[in-house]
Amino acid sequence: MFPAETRILLVDDMTTMRKLVRRCLTDLGFTSVTEADDGETAWPMLESAASTIPFQLIISDWNMPKMQGIQLLKKVRANEALKTVPFIFLTAETEKTQVMDAIQSGATNYISKPFTPQTLKEKLALVHAQVQKK
Amino acid sequence: MTTLNVNFINPFIDGTLNTFKIQCAVEASPGKPFMKGNGPTLTAEIAATIGLASKEFCGSVSIGFSESLFLALMGNMLGEKYTEITKDLEDGASELLNIIFGQAKTVLNEKGYAIDKAIPTVIRGKGISFNHLSSQPTLVVPFETQHGPFFIEVVLEGQRN
Repeated sequence: MFPAETRILLVDDMTTMRKLVRRCLTDLGFTSVTEADDGETAWPMLESAASTIPFQLIISDWNMPKMQGIQLLKKVRANEALKTVPFIFLTAETEKTQVMDAIQSGATNYISKPFTPQTLKEKLALVHAQVQKK
Repeated sequence: MTTLNVNFINPFIDGTLNTFKIQCAVEASPGKPFMKGNGPTLTAEIAATIGLASKEFCGSVSIGFSESLFLALMGNMLGEKYTEITKDLEDGASELLNIIFGQAKTVLNEKGYAIDKAIPTVIRGKGISFNHLSSQPTLVVPFETQHGPFFIEVVLEGQRN
């Protein structure tokens, strides 16, 4: 599993969903969770942090006003400093074509809403194992 | 022409039951669906609505909650006790509808409906009822839970405007 101090950026336009995911992450022991309410807000945070204390994991919704999650993912993967940061979609967009689009665009993993804290825990462990293998 | 039949409605009912159970630990039971105007007028204290659009039709899906139920749903989901619907809680209505819509859209699009992505809107007030600007009938599905009732409404137009 990722260490407790892993710096996580959580991107979702819904306050209640950010609150839920933050609570799940806190319950799992994570101590560094930063929130952004859409891709447009998240991107400068990621760029700015990349040269100082970079984020080590991104958990993002897909369907958001302004910049959508898939656009954020593509920007992350196109950026030299950020391209290897694990990126997990946590989204209600669950169609096969979208999952394929996400994976082909470089998403590390994909969690469908509704989700349980246990699902989040298992996916994080899986992503950590994926990252360790590389 | 796409119509409001069982094949179209069931994914929304299934998505609702699944979302309430997994995300909020609340079991819901659907009642008998009826066409709006042929049953009781159901009202809500908080509601959300989302557009249904494909190349062949447009319409909307709406969900209306009693205050007691909504507070219970948010309390269970977020692990806290709430006594009033604060501004911070309001978007929970649209998030729940978004999750329901996502599940239904996946099932329907596998059958070829090609429904577009959409973002829901929240409505607050006392005694909210939906007044759909459509010439087509609106289907109402009432639900019961241990914390109070809620309902969904679906309306479809045969052609996209």
